[in-house]
Parts: sequence; structure tokens; C-alpha cells
Amino acid sequence: MPFERIVVAIDGSEPSDRALAKALELAALTRAKLVALAVEGPLPAYAATVGEVEEVKREKDAFFGALADRVRREAQAAGVPIEVELRAGHAAELIVRYADERGADLIVLGHRGHFLRDHLLGSTADRVSEHASCPVMIVR
Amino acid sequence: MSDIAVAAVLAATILVASTVSIEIGLSVALIELFGGFVVGNAFSIDVPSWLSFVGSFAGIVLTFLAGAEVDVPQLRREWKASLSIGLVSFGAPFVLVGLLCYFGLGWNHRQAEIGGLALSTTSLAVVYAVLVETGLSRELVGKRIMSATFVTDIATVAGLTILFVKPTIWIVPFAAASIGAIVGLPLAAPSFFGRYGDRVIEPEIKLVFAVLFLLMWLGGRANSQAALPVFVLGLVMSGHYERHRKEQERMRVVAFAFLTPFFFLKGGMNVSAHALWANLGVLALLFVGKMLPKFGGVYPLARRFTAPHATFTTLLMSTGLTFGTITSLYGLNAGIIDRTKFSLLIAVVVLSAIVPTAIAQRFFQPRAALTPEGAVA
Repeated sequence: MPFERIVVAIDGSEPSDRALAKALELAALTRAKLVALAVEGPLPAYAATVGEVEEVKREKDAFFGALADRVRREAQAAGVPIEVELRAGHAAELIVRYADERGADLIVLGHRGHFLRDHLLGSTADRVSEHASCPVMIVR
Repeated sequence: MSDIAVAAVLAATILVASTVSIEIGLSVALIELFGGFVVGNAFSIDVPSWLSFVGSFAGIVLTFLAGAEVDVPQLRREWKASLSIGLVSFGAPFVLVGLLCYFGLGWNHRQAEIGGLALSTTSLAVVYAVLVETGLSRELVGKRIMSATFVTDIATVAGLTILFVKPTIWIVPFAAASIGAIVGLPLAAPSFFGRYGDRVIEPEIKLVFAVLFLLMWLGGRANSQAALPVFVLGLVMSGHYERHRKEQERMRVVAFAFLTPFFFLKGGMNVSAHALWANLGVLALLFVGKMLPKFGGVYPLARRFTAPHATFTTLLMSTGLTFGTITSLYGLNAGIIDRTKFSLLIAVVVLSAIVPTAIAQRFFQPRAALTPEGAVA
């Protein structure tokens, strides 16, 4: 089997939806185990009030809870068993670490193409492909 | 510049600060402070009296919200670790920075007390965000760190109220009103909020604001500061807000949308770039003066209560932001410290929010970070 365990990173954006569709396709073809990792992104750094942090966390939890439900429905429709996991933190670091933890042999993620941020800081996809210890598929 | 022109500039700054905050993931308060610093220094705008008034009230609202964020049952459960780490985290830098300011920098004793208080704080919000992100907020070590932070905060507001009191006869009505509010509001809240709450005209927020204004006024007449009773009022209301999340959310919306931006802008506008540039050595000295006693005092206790995360705990307990700003602004408004000293204290407070947090996250983040935030399938 070419792939046994695929991790797809999702954040609810259009590129991540395309990555999910591709990962579902691949998992169906190879019968690999598919895990969708929803990365919440960091909370406001150096906040002045707990309220600011709590409200952002609550919004993120609601958004990603709904995203997880949608991803599960899409996977069911495609006939692919899927596990969805939600984690908070910096996207690239988390994806790489999580893939290592789960012994993934492929990471699938979308590319958002944010011109300014990509040129200044490098995109999440760039950083994941640089640091991952398994193959990375970047879906545009 | 006319008042309305200043208001327009500040409103635009507040808007930009919120959008930048969302885009780059930094807290809006920090960007508002920076925005105030830029506006104040670039346009040489003096802080108008209306901004001073709104900012002072916002500081009191922030203190109330901080009290309301205390998890009292958790504090009770972890009182031993909380008290020891929290009190040392407050006391060690308060004494050392106070002595440094008094003997080393030639500040008078009231200025040294403001310096010691402003740099003795620990930022509950900074600590909370890191603990949630690392997943430690659900573990014993995280709960102990949070509880210790509550204690440090309580000690800071107590110091702010007690150290600078020069009582007049008004201390009697001030104390009576404080006790009345602390006992009465949690008792009145369920029926009042039940009868008048959950409406767009927000009588429940108006009730809280009326009480806060009353305490501010009486505190002023008594030559005291309303910080302690207001914090305790928030603390006794924390259970109510825990049960009525919507009320807390609406209170936060009002505070964050209108009040607290003016508080942080006011803080930033009073920071003088020239004063900072001319006193970089003093700035470094004060920063070390905050960090050293935090490490010397907290680390040994952290080894006992939060092992194996003692360094991580110590770094988090070394952070500061809101109460450092509140204390420094109090000192400036009361004429205890001048703009140069205020600028130095705010710069150290901001540095202490960023530097220890960044080091803790980069080098000492515990393995708990690898546990899931919440499996949803």
C-alpha cells in the first residue's frame, strides 16, 4: 500500500477544503487511515484580560466544532472512515509534531497563498514541507 | 487639537489596533498601548481630561473584571501552593524593586512603592492564554499556577489601596459602601438581574457601573483607592457570572468595545519615547530588578509545588501587564511619579509581558502541549 496513515490539516478555509477532498480521494484509493487535524491557531498573545482570551477560545471552539461535524459528514458521504482531532497552537509546528506522533506517512494540506505573509514569514505549507519527516502533499 | 479631533484620532487608532490584533494574533491591549505611544509621541497630543476620566473608570472596570475572573473554588482547593507562590511572587519583587528605586535610583518612598507594586504583578491573562494553549489549564500544575496568580493580583490591589491611603472622615462611608456592595450585590444580583436583565438597555451593567462609580467617588473623597473593594466585588460576583455567561459576555463587550481601549491608549500616550531613550540603562536595571526576585523567590517554591515545571512556572509568574499598567497610571494620575518614571515602568511592564512568556513557550513548554486540546471524534 502506498500510504497507510494520512493526516490532513483543516482550518475551514477553501484551500483546506480542497486538501480534504484530495485526502478523502487518496484514502478511498489506498484504504489508508485518515485523520483530520483541525488546528485552532494560537490565542491572542500577551493578553491583558482573561475575557479576551476566553471569548476568542469560545469562538474558535464553536467554529471548529462545526467544522469537525461537517468534515465527518463529508467523509461519511465519501465512504471513508475519518478521525477528527482538534488542537490549539501554531499551525506548522503542530501539524509536523502531530504527524510524527501518529506515525503518518503522508501529510496533506492546502496552500492559502497570502502574498505578504508568505514572503515575510513563509507559509504554513512551506514550513511543514521543510520540517516534516514524511512526504507532504500541498493542494493548491 | 480640539477634543473632538483627538477623539477622532483615537477612535481611528482603536479601530486599527483591533484589526491589527486579529490579523497578527497579538492582544489588542498591547497594540492599543503601542498605538497610544505612537500617537502621543508623533502628534504631541496631550491627554485630554475626558480621556483621563474614561481611562480611570476603565481601569476600575478592568479591576472588577479581573476579580470576576478568579476561580474561587480552585483557589480554595489549592490554597497552600497558591498562597506561598503567589505571596512570594508579589512580595519579593515589591521589596527588591522598591529598595532599588529608593536607594539605587533616588526615588522618594512613595515613588519607590509605586515602582515596587507595578513590577510585582503577574499577568493572569498572559498566564491563562499560555496554559490553555499548552493544555496545562486542565492539569494540577496549571491550576496551581492560576491560583498563585490570583493571589499575586489580590496582593497587588490590596497594596495599591492600603499603601496610599491617607484617610479622612470619608473613609467611614467608603468602607461602609464597600462592605455593602460586596455583601449586597451578589445577594441582589439574582432577583435584580432576573427582573431587569437580558435586555438591550442592559440595566444589570448599569447597576454594576453605578456601584463602581460610587466606590470611585467615595474612595477619592477618603483619599484612598477603590481598587481593593472593586476587585473583591468582582471576586464575589464571579460565581454569578460563572452561572450567567451571557451577562459576563455583555459586560466584556461594553468594556472591550468602549472602555478599555481608552485605558490602554491613555497609558501609551503618556509614555515618552525621549524619556525611554535617555534612560535605557535604568530600564534594563528595573527589568532585571523585576526578574531576579521573581526567580529567587518563586523558583524554589515552584520546585516543590509545580515540579517538574519549575522554570516554566517561574517564567509565567514573572509576566505582568494589566495591574502593572493600572498601578503606574494611578501613580501618574495621583502625581506620585512623573512621566519619565511612568514611561520606564510601563516599558518594563510590557517587556515583562513578552520576554518571559516567549522564553517559556520557546524553551520550557511542558510535554502537556502534546496532549489534545479536545478530541472531537
